Amino acid sequence: MSNTENSNETPKRTFSRRKFLLRASIGAGVMIGVGYFGCNPMRRSLAGMAEEAALGYDNKFDAIAWFEVTADNDIILHSPKVEMGQGIFTGMAQLVAEELGVSIGKIKVVHASSMNRPVDPRSTGGSDTISGLWVPLRELSVKMRVMLLENASKILGVATSSLSIGDGVISGGDKSISFGEIVSQATEWNEPKKITLKSKKDFKVIGKAIPRVDLEPKVMGDPIFGIDAEMPDMHYGVIVRPPKIDTVFESADFSKAESMPGVIKVVQESDFVGVIAKSKTQANLAAQAIEVKWKTNKVWEQKDIEEIIKVGKGKPVEIQKSGSPKRILNGDDVITSEYSSPIGAHAHLEPNGAVAFVEKDKAIIKISTQVPKFTRTEVAKTLDLKEEQVEIQPTFLGGGFGRRLHTPNAMQAALLSKAVGKPVHVFFSRKDEFQHDTFRPPTHHVLKGKLGENGLIEAIEHHVSSGDVAFGSVLFPQALENVFGADVGAWRGGMIQYRAIPNFSATSWRVKLPFATSWWRSLGLLANTFAIESFIDELADKAGKDPVEFRLAQIKDDERGRRLKAVIEAAAKKGEWGKKMPEGRAQGFAASTDANTPVAQVVEVSVENNQIKVHKVTCAIDPGMAINPDGIKAQCEGAIIMGISASMFEKMEVKNGALTPTIYGAYKMARMRHAPKEIDVVILEGADKPSGVGEPPLGPIGAAIANAVFKLTGKRLRDMPFKLT
Amino acid sequence: MKKSSIIILAALMLLGVGGMSYTDLNQKDERTVSFSTNGTASESFETMMKVLTHKRCINCHPAGDRPRQGEDSHIHNFDVQRGEDGHGVVALQCKTCHQSSNNSLSGVPGAPHWHLAPRSMAWEGLDKYEIAQAMLDKNKNGNRSVEEIEKHLTEDQLVLWVFEPGVNNEGIPREKPPVSKEDYIKAVKDWIAEGAIIPSK
Amino acid sequence: MNVSFTLNGKAVSVDVDGQTPLLWVVRDVLGMKGTKFGCGKAACGACTLHVDGDAIRSCSYAVQFAEGKKVTTIEGLSTDEKIHPVQQAWMEEIVPQCGYCQPGFMMATAALLEKIPNPTDEDIDNNIANICRCGTYYRMRKAIHRAAEIQQNSNS
Repeated sequence: MSNTENSNETPKRTFSRRKFLLRASIGAGVMIGVGYFGCNPMRRSLAGMAEEAALGYDNKFDAIAWFEVTADNDIILHSPKVEMGQGIFTGMAQLVAEELGVSIGKIKVVHASSMNRPVDPRSTGGSDTISGLWVPLRELSVKMRVMLLENASKILGVATSSLSIGDGVISGGDKSISFGEIVSQATEWNEPKKITLKSKKDFKVIGKAIPRVDLEPKVMGDPIFGIDAEMPDMHYGVIVRPPKIDTVFESADFSKAESMPGVIKVVQESDFVGVIAKSKTQANLAAQAIEVKWKTNKVWEQKDIEEIIKVGKGKPVEIQKSGSPKRILNGDDVITSEYSSPIGAHAHLEPNGAVAFVEKDKAIIKISTQVPKFTRTEVAKTLDLKEEQVEIQPTFLGGGFGRRLHTPNAMQAALLSKAVGKPVHVFFSRKDEFQHDTFRPPTHHVLKGKLGENGLIEAIEHHVSSGDVAFGSVLFPQALENVFGADVGAWRGGMIQYRAIPNFSATSWRVKLPFATSWWRSLGLLANTFAIESFIDELADKAGKDPVEFRLAQIKDDERGRRLKAVIEAAAKKGEWGKKMPEGRAQGFAASTDANTPVAQVVEVSVENNQIKVHKVTCAIDPGMAINPDGIKAQCEGAIIMGISASMFEKMEVKNGALTPTIYGAYKMARMRHAPKEIDVVILEGADKPSGVGEPPLGPIGAAIANAVFKLTGKRLRDMPFKLT
Repeated sequence: MKKSSIIILAALMLLGVGGMSYTDLNQKDERTVSFSTNGTASESFETMMKVLTHKRCINCHPAGDRPRQGEDSHIHNFDVQRGEDGHGVVALQCKTCHQSSNNSLSGVPGAPHWHLAPRSMAWEGLDKYEIAQAMLDKNKNGNRSVEEIEKHLTEDQLVLWVFEPGVNNEGIPREKPPVSKEDYIKAVKDWIAEGAIIPSK
Repeated sequence: MNVSFTLNGKAVSVDVDGQTPLLWVVRDVLGMKGTKFGCGKAACGACTLHVDGDAIRSCSYAVQFAEGKKVTTIEGLSTDEKIHPVQQAWMEEIVPQCGYCQPGFMMATAALLEKIPNPTDEDIDNNIANICRCGTYYRMRKAIHRAAEIQQNSNS
């Protein structure tokens, strides 16, 4: 039987450089903790905070265990943040290795169980793991080092000043002792009050392009994901979900399903029906045999959705204003443009689900989730248990992208397990993933602009109409909706970043849709940047100016502006902006700032057989400080390709009351042949601390492609996914 | 009636009587294409062609190098390619997904030797007369005699799959041709027995 | 029904409904979790493994067809002593992000390199049609070329 991350079934490999995540012996452990969540007081203004993705930290201080030292001398870091591909386990290991004074190979990062381990109060999302842990995790590591030295000193009888830390060993004079030995012998641990962090010039591990720490298990196919989790005597469950949106459960006839081979039980809850069987296939077949009566309030069609997602409909909130754009944006010389983006699916490869085992007074949930704490709360509430009776064991995520910020699947798995008293493994079908996703909402944008006599923008306004992103999410209490007024997720990237423009404003229109919409990697950034940065190009064209020069001329000279300017210049330089292009090819440019990280991209496209092809992308990014340059490059490459996919291919539609399509292929996505053959990433370090990386590079790509296509064909692309005819 | 007794050179008939732009002809060919002289289509021909012009057949007799799929005959997802022998490319063969029988759980269709008809047997875009001509044209049909064609049309499991096309990925039964398997087989046999006559348009 | 085949060089025998997808037999009955479920419709390629050396999408492959055949999964691609060129290249190029789709891609790539030892970019585009949501295609392409190089060097 294999467990999730701590499988002891992992085959022995003699070529293995390291045995990843193998917890050989969890003998004597030392617990050390600090509430890093207390380190982020809500100082900034609400809007500024939301824009920098620092929203939602609470001030709770919990001294809970982060580190464990095994008798084998490995240091285990119990991460409250989850690894979904973004590379944070590696970044965190680097921070720890740096301050602890050990090699990165000594650090094993595992997902923290919710039981006696650090639990993130919010989520892994918003590109804020490394920026949020930058100080607290290093401080924690220094404390760990100081305490180890102190105990080594006591045990060895050598003054701490004469001790030095090697790779998991502390030595002084002719004596030495391993971390593991210290941990097993020490009786007292005194948390130091005063600590000093290393200064940047002394970094040896931070800033290095170290291969990701989860590389080997992912290349060897180790059982590390939620769907791989097993428990003894486990059964398999399937949930029957409504076939249409705006539909409620009425009744079900499952007499046929109950007598099918392998079926253990059919469970009817208030809003769903589930089947539990001995095998996955048996459960699936039985689920198909259940006849459910649904009540559909309205059979929605795509045109209904398009009608309500329009600027002018729903509730407007002005989110940004400078000068008097409304007064100026009058008359014949006002340029008005509209843009739109479709409903987007997450389409992550590992379906949602959970393995749950519910007993009388406790429950264990193994799950790939971005919100272990909320998952715990919801499961506890569902089962009428105390939170401390519910253990969430997060696993590696087979893609997150915001989809796993909602985990009702954990509750459903728990209810099925409770019904049969056995562990139950319940996962979505792919059709359910496509139809019951928490979609990226469709958007509609209206931009107005006017050029001044100097050929620069005198006034500009952006209106975005969108379904909910943050609103309605467990991460965003309803009380905050009133404080904010506008959905911070929907307008992410929707503000005007060229703040030297004398008059500008942005307005967010909130529309309620009849299906769930929510977080999708970078939230509104991709669509908002597509609209604004396309429009900026339109204005540059109207002004007869080079798009890059045009942008640079309207950036405010403040810290934020300087960093934006730097990436624009760097991308233009590295991407050889303005060079003579071969026949049939053109360049396009766009820039954005998200999670405090500015990004600029130059793309090179051609059009072949009416198909846009992206040949090369040059991406300049300033993540403040680069913890792992290779990880940053990987995130840029991935975000660029995901952005190409979303801008050029992806689209969900409502047909006959249901979201469609329901399968890959019909839901068109970028594949190998669509990925650029060249992606050149330039990393600038414009600050003294790291900022977000996972989402920001998704911003410019759509607009950059559209701008290049305009240059090449004269056709302005206004709707995602792009179509030339 | 024996087919040999009514053979007319296809090229002459096609160009003269049929009036079709059928230029890919080989004078040396001993083709066995026949035409009715009165211009009316036999019932067996019409019945047979209702099947052979159906999307279940046409999807895998594409004009290019990519199969089509589905009730709307869209280009097969994932840019699936014909490959050298009609069985796909080396790491993305037909059998990577299609096995020797339909998979009712995944909705992936299957039949023995699932593959594309050769380029020469591209039917996409042809009308029923042109399809019939191509079918009888030894230069195109893999040098099959009329007897072999009959066997292929009435016994080949991949051809007969069209009458049992299974369910799609949504579990919905695929559309079948508007003729039963038995009527189709009888129609093919009758048509050939009648001399494999292709009526003029 | 009883189905016997070879899994990663070991003879195995299972007693299941013959229609059961090979994927679930490999994962749930035989405990090899490296082969992933992505769609269950042979559309994403996450479940790609080898049957007698051919790349097969195991979610749509009834286990009965495996009778007497040689099945290889990601766990069996390398041997205890030697890492497979594809996995070696994947390590060198640091390809995976979330990692979930990667076994399917590596199995498809291994099948490609068996037949086309030195694939062109076009060969890669035509043969590798799996889905990766993290967008690791750019590195995968580099890794496929690198794997071809490793394979050729070790053969020469």
